[in-house]
Amino acid sequence: MDFSAHAERVLDTALARGAAYADVRFERSRSERIEVRNGDVAGLSDTHSGGFGLRALVDGAWGFAACALFDDASLDAAAGRAVAMARAGASASRQRIGTIPLEAFVDQYVTPCERDPASVPLGERVALLLDAERALHSAATIAVGRAWLDLWRTDKEFYSSSGSRIAQTIYQSGGAISALAVGDGDSQVRMWPGDRGMYFGGGWEVLELAELRENAARIGEEAHQLLSAPQCPSGTMDVILGGSQVSLQIHESCGHAAELDRIMGWEANFSGTSFLDPSERGKLHYGSPIVNIEIDNTMPRGFATVGYDDEGTKSVRADVIRDGILVGFESSRDTAHLIGSASTSCVRAESWEHVPMIRMCNLNLRPGDVPFEHLFDDVRDGVYMEANRSWSIDDRRLNFQFGTQIGWEIKHGKRGRMLKNPTYGGITPVFWNSCDAIGDAASWFEWGTPNCGKGEPMQTGRTTQAAAPARFRNVAVGVGYGR
Amino acid sequence: MDADARRALAERVLARSRADAMEAIVSSDHRALTRFTHEFIHQNVDIENVAIRVRAIVDGRTGVASTNASDDGALDAVVKRATEIAAFAPRRTEPPLLATYAAVTAPAAAYVDATANATPEERALVAGAIFDQAATNGCWCSGYVTTSTGGVTIVTTSGADASFDGTECGANVKMTAGDSTGFAERYSTDVRVLDGYLLGSRAVRKAQRSAHPISVDPGDWTVILEPAAFGELVHFLGDHFSAQAYDEGSSFLSGRLGERVMGAGVTIRDDYAHARHPDAPFDWEGNPKQRLALIEDGVARTIVTDSEWAGKLGRPNTGHGLPAPNAYGPYPLDLVVDPGTASLDELIASTKRGLLVTRLWYVRIVDQRKTILTGMTRDGTFLIENGAIVSGVRNLRFNQSLVDALGACTFSNDQQRTGGYSYALVAPAVKFERFNFASTTDY
Repeated sequence: MDFSAHAERVLDTALARGAAYADVRFERSRSERIEVRNGDVAGLSDTHSGGFGLRALVDGAWGFAACALFDDASLDAAAGRAVAMARAGASASRQRIGTIPLEAFVDQYVTPCERDPASVPLGERVALLLDAERALHSAATIAVGRAWLDLWRTDKEFYSSSGSRIAQTIYQSGGAISALAVGDGDSQVRMWPGDRGMYFGGGWEVLELAELRENAARIGEEAHQLLSAPQCPSGTMDVILGGSQVSLQIHESCGHAAELDRIMGWEANFSGTSFLDPSERGKLHYGSPIVNIEIDNTMPRGFATVGYDDEGTKSVRADVIRDGILVGFESSRDTAHLIGSASTSCVRAESWEHVPMIRMCNLNLRPGDVPFEHLFDDVRDGVYMEANRSWSIDDRRLNFQFGTQIGWEIKHGKRGRMLKNPTYGGITPVFWNSCDAIGDAASWFEWGTPNCGKGEPMQTGRTTQAAAPARFRNVAVGVGYGR
Repeated sequence: MDADARRALAERVLARSRADAMEAIVSSDHRALTRFTHEFIHQNVDIENVAIRVRAIVDGRTGVASTNASDDGALDAVVKRATEIAAFAPRRTEPPLLATYAAVTAPAAAYVDATANATPEERALVAGAIFDQAATNGCWCSGYVTTSTGGVTIVTTSGADASFDGTECGANVKMTAGDSTGFAERYSTDVRVLDGYLLGSRAVRKAQRSAHPISVDPGDWTVILEPAAFGELVHFLGDHFSAQAYDEGSSFLSGRLGERVMGAGVTIRDDYAHARHPDAPFDWEGNPKQRLALIEDGVARTIVTDSEWAGKLGRPNTGHGLPAPNAYGPYPLDLVVDPGTASLDELIASTKRGLLVTRLWYVRIVDQRKTILTGMTRDGTFLIENGAIVSGVRNLRFNQSLVDALGACTFSNDQQRTGGYSYALVAPAVKFERFNFASTTDY
């Protein structure tokens, strides 16, 4: 791809029509999905999409126009529409927000990829899923077996009127298996890996690492066993969360809470606000002193790892919670400017036709020093919970209630019988301050989420919350079935 | 792009077919959004796109490929990819059937020129009227004004030729006043009904009336959910009406057709022609949609099917297919809950002690088969005592089986379209005699 001539035309047109600054992303993406369901290839699709999205800043207000056509007339029309949108916005607005970047980058970035998915024959891809799905039916109660994979490649070029010219090729891949057991008026689900599958930046090697075939029979058997497992008890007790559930806990109760656009009310009517305030930086005891959470948009295998974000900011690492204290936020250029800070490179758009906005990217809980098996050691009465099934949190990210697919009783430091329908709830900072042990680096993994929703119209984001299993004291358990 | 242009594009696709059968879906849309917060517009968006989806069938095998480019090279490539995938894919248990020609009529007022031609200045005027209400009343507001035009054309080598054009518009606003918030929304096909003053002042009244909210104890409450709140729950019933979920056992309806499953007076339909939400008269396979009573006076009457599940279960095709490839089964996209006879004010007046809820948030499934849902109240929750609203209430979390709640309920006599960008359905307000709240917040 080389859209430099198109970029020059569309940016020049936007500036000529009155924009003080403009930037444009040209993108071509390919997404392939294969899904096997009960022995059938229920979905086999290959989607190509291309177009450009242009931002124009006029009198401190942004306009955005997107178009799939690249001819001169379409480029000119899009520039006109973006400027008109910005001008109409400025006429009604009682504040000004837009900032013009001082830096310009000329660079390129390609996701490290051990095996390009394009080199894997379609037959090999389908065979993997058919084999894994077949193995899920390890018990007669398995009513639905599913196995799927997603492969994405996005080529994008970013140009700005400040002089940036950035070319990137992003590879993202992942897949999962799922078994639904039905019997006696009940249904129970199990998935692998984790609760969303294994997704991160890279190629076919992600699917090999996921070991779908190797784990399918066990996952089917666990779904079957859950039908007759005892109900998770209710009460206040200690909880150990598996790594993927800690990842979900970070995502919902830290990641979204620390998005600076939410904090400033930019998502108030839909996704909500946050209990956090910029004035609490350096003061708020978000968690216990062992809780350290950081943005790392440079990490290998990060699902959100890129060279530059979608407003042309170079990817960075930045602390959000250090030794339990709130120290930073996920931000864009505009929002960071408002608190006298620098962008943490967290701006993403789902595709060329989506407006860039702050997204949770790679936001990780640093590992602790406790080997996984020793997390159980001094738990007298508790539950070990794995793999999310239900998740809900209020619009300020305080009151949460989560459920997992499976649990195990813990008595006197030992993991005991399987439990079904585990749920727990709490208040965000109280919960994170009850964290007294985090698994070591050996149990830490880059859990990716392919379907984080935010914005209107809703944009789907791809994000990693790397985490290890962790222990929390005195948690309200069984709350989902409390009546 | 109009229907003729979409049809011409679809025919250029089918003319390239070397498959046994082929379907071309061409969808065009032009969407605009003016989103605001703190009385400034922070997202002002205008998007145009045309997408082409090709389903090829070769020897009973299916392949799907998509593109949004329409030059000859792109069409050659998308047809080739779909055909290659189909030639390779394993054969399905149920052979795929493409739609044949069927006469369908779009519901009245699905397309309104004023909406299709709306400008950014018109949307800014609606937003500006909301800003005025916020400024005048010492509040701040966030929300959006949106207008869009969308069209779809489905043509198959089996003779189907279906087109639909529709417009959508909406505005919503959350108003914040110190320690309380309020909400108002309006969705339609006609932009001329969007009244920023009305929406802004309604949201202001909600926010002001819920100022200095008090805490109430969790537990079982009589609760009245306004349409925006009730819609968040009804939305989760959609999966249960799917033939796939019914057959596989994850639906609460599984094996219960013909039985009473909810209280008398509960009628839930799927109706693409409802005046408050006129939608396409055909599904994503190009088959005509049937207007169905899914629950009638509390009795489970039927489920929705597509071509595959009609064949599997030996039932009629109700026209509720989603775009291929579809692993999720058929789905009712146009849910409607029938109204009752009392006004919302009368529902409140008949409540000795209860809660009035404006809006719910982050509703999620706790237990699919039992229809247990959890979520939070937001943007205007009130205590009712002796038939009158007496105070705002701090927000609460609920855990409740929706089907159980619908066992004892009363509906208001007016329906609203709700759902915004997330979904679209038509619902009245509902009064549940027993609704379980599990925990509270301090705001």
